[in-house]
Amino acid sequence: MPAKVITLTIDGRDVSAREDYTILDAAKEANVKIPTLCHLEGLCDVGACRLCMVEVKGIPKLLPACVTKVSEGMSVTTDSERLLHYRMTIVELMFSERNHICSVCVSNGHCELQAMAMRLGVDHMRVPYRYPTLPVDASHERFVLDHNRCILCTRCVRACDEIEGAHTWDVMGRGIDAKVITDMNEPWGKSESCTSCGKCVNVCPTGALFEKGRSVGEMVKRKAFLPYLTQMREGKK
Amino acid sequence: MAQTITIDPVTRIEGHAKITLTLGDDGRVSDARFHVTQVRGFEKFAEGRPFYEMPSLMARICGICPVSHLVASAKACDGLLAVKVPETGANLRRLMNLGQITQSHALSFFHLSSPDFLLGMDSDPATRNVFGLAEKFPDLALAGIRLRKYGQEIIETLGGRKIHPAWIVPGGVNDPLTVEERDRILAGLPEAKDTTRLALDLFRRTAPKFADELDSFANFPSLFMSIVGKEGELEHYDGKFRVVDSDRKIVADGVAPADYADIIGEAAEEWTYLKMPYYKPLGYPYGLYRVGPLARLNTVDKCGTPEADAALHEFRAMASGSILSSFHYHTARLIEILYALEKIEELLTQTDILNTHVRAKAAPNASHGIGVSEAPRGTLIHDYEIDDDGLITKANLIIATGHNNLAMNKGVLQVAQRFVDGKNLHEGMLNRVEAVIRCYDPCLSCSTHAAGQMPMIITLVNPDGTVADSITRG
Amino acid sequence: MSKTRVATVWLDGCSGCHMSFLDLDERLLDIAPLIQLVHSPIADVKEFPENVDVALVEGAVSSDEDEEKILKIRERSKILVALGDCSVTSNVPSMRNQFEPNRMLHAIYGDGVIPLGGGPVPTLLRKSRPIHEFVNVDVYVPGCPPPADLIFDTISNLLAGQKREDAPAPKFG
Repeated sequence: MPAKVITLTIDGRDVSAREDYTILDAAKEANVKIPTLCHLEGLCDVGACRLCMVEVKGIPKLLPACVTKVSEGMSVTTDSERLLHYRMTIVELMFSERNHICSVCVSNGHCELQAMAMRLGVDHMRVPYRYPTLPVDASHERFVLDHNRCILCTRCVRACDEIEGAHTWDVMGRGIDAKVITDMNEPWGKSESCTSCGKCVNVCPTGALFEKGRSVGEMVKRKAFLPYLTQMREGKK
Repeated sequence: MAQTITIDPVTRIEGHAKITLTLGDDGRVSDARFHVTQVRGFEKFAEGRPFYEMPSLMARICGICPVSHLVASAKACDGLLAVKVPETGANLRRLMNLGQITQSHALSFFHLSSPDFLLGMDSDPATRNVFGLAEKFPDLALAGIRLRKYGQEIIETLGGRKIHPAWIVPGGVNDPLTVEERDRILAGLPEAKDTTRLALDLFRRTAPKFADELDSFANFPSLFMSIVGKEGELEHYDGKFRVVDSDRKIVADGVAPADYADIIGEAAEEWTYLKMPYYKPLGYPYGLYRVGPLARLNTVDKCGTPEADAALHEFRAMASGSILSSFHYHTARLIEILYALEKIEELLTQTDILNTHVRAKAAPNASHGIGVSEAPRGTLIHDYEIDDDGLITKANLIIATGHNNLAMNKGVLQVAQRFVDGKNLHEGMLNRVEAVIRCYDPCLSCSTHAAGQMPMIITLVNPDGTVADSITRG
Repeated sequence: MSKTRVATVWLDGCSGCHMSFLDLDERLLDIAPLIQLVHSPIADVKEFPENVDVALVEGAVSSDEDEEKILKIRERSKILVALGDCSVTSNVPSMRNQFEPNRMLHAIYGDGVIPLGGGPVPTLLRKSRPIHEFVNVDVYVPGCPPPADLIFDTISNLLAGQKREDAPAPKFG
């Protein structure tokens, strides 16, 4: 039973999409670039970062494009003053919530958060910095977790669960105290479930997860493997 | 209660400092203190960070000599890895370091110091700067700007950016040199050499006009320290400590970088954020020694390159022992630029400089690493300890300007006693006090690793705390 | 045409931004006739003057002295430019913020004499912060340091009296 095709408008253009698409899928197919940070091709979507918020005609609140399904006649706006204001604020909140020091980060120049700030024109944070005291877990033989640079996108959690099948990663705590943990909040190096495959490191958008031995600016994430692994998991389409 | 004069900020040096002069009852200067007024805490906040991040983090101590910090820090990290850096990797690090010596010395001479002796110590402060120089001596200003640019371009060619390149890494460098890059650097050499020769010549002709300054610019016997190469030659990248006295007699030699604590102690004072290193055998505060270009030319047996050696020979003919006047830091810097340019040529014309094996990789194999290099302003020591996970547990840094701290204080006192007379304040006189500090070319961004600019108001304070007299300079 | 009165200031930074400004190289000589450098670490005027047209400020605000300065600079300048990551985000200087200053100083200086501020040395603020948390900033130029081209574009546009539209995209780090 092939999926039904529906029609919607994105930024005033008529676009056709399968009815099981999300707004983000439809926009991608129509070559409309909606900013995202937690979304990654090959992982399920969770709407954690809220950067892909769009305006949908007739609905007063903003909707996350990555987890909102399309519907017939829907009219979507992906870019407006209001959306830019919210997106910039989200990025500024991410920067001010932890300690992102781009200049001395292993991911400097290869970081999705840094690139997003550039793309949106964020040149300073209008919210005051929190400067929390956060640990670095370097107990793993090959990898390091630096909570200072984590934006809680949960890509690591999803990659480990959905692709590797180990589910070493999870999130603990609530609100501002939330943090990613390995196993039952034990040091990563002591984890019994971790297979040291490195998928979490390569899907991490920032320098929060990186390979040991990388100096500043040297951590380049390799993500090309993901769609293939997803295909293997779901069978050839 | 003695009167005090405060010079704040000390300008045209690279950093934050002020000077306090205390006048005795006879109106003469009885004490002088050079205060470093900034502290940033690198030694503390390095703790808990992965050691692989150290070189680039430590580079942020200083925007003027980031490469020296990259080198000293990476060498401390080499020690933690316990690897031997491939020879080409070491030579490429050397090359970048020489590029930096060129740019930093050019900056110090042309942009920061030459306004004093070309426009005059007593010239109008509003134009006594590089722009004033450009107006009066456009050709010279341009030559100086281009010489610094050449040094910066070497750094950029190797590391991808002029300031804070992340190219020097634990175990070596992260990108080999290409033929095109090599040829580009070689192409700029002739002009750079000409400018340096011109500046040396100019300074030789100008220096005699400053007999007073030569005499009183921190001109006192002291020890001098630097690292020297295997054959006692000038060496900025790798070597062992040597200390000579004012007669140029060697008092310590062949001290391995790892044993620096055998000869250097550190003291602190509550009136400055800059620690006071001293030569241990003599104790504090007697063990004052000097580092930097002048110290290096006093400690070495030779430069090791023909033109620089000829200039060194001429330089040394001025005195039987060590050259003592800090005014000659200027001469020493120019000779060092000459050496750097000759050495750059030597390194680039070796065929193995193009080798692609430029980095040794390993997990950490030692818990303690020490790296030493000669920064433009003197010896730089980085000393790290790590835990089993490779996170820094302890960092100690001794910075070039720190070594000179005791000597700078003494130098300021000496010149103040000669030129400052409490009953009669004038701008040029105070400028001379500052110029002494400028001779040492203190890189205060470095000095504040552990750890401004306000109006220059000179205030004379009566014993009861009321202001007797004050002049404002601005 | 009267010259634009430009001041450059250095608070808690490494001077890398000033060095990047000097990396304008020959272009320094091009802008020299257009500007009057009325206050700078590379010049000799100590007092931050009145009626500054453009103030370029490098570095974070870390001590009571920095705070005093930035307030005065704001008061006396028409356009205030935050130059480089330290002044825009507080960057590396903010790495000390997880430590209480006096404890940090004890750790650095050991058990002997400790410069805890007051007297001739300024007192550290509890945290090192970007300058716009103290005063209004007109132009932000991030980067560690911002490349010379970006600084040149910023200055050129300010001298020509335009907001910069076409300058290279600023980037943190």
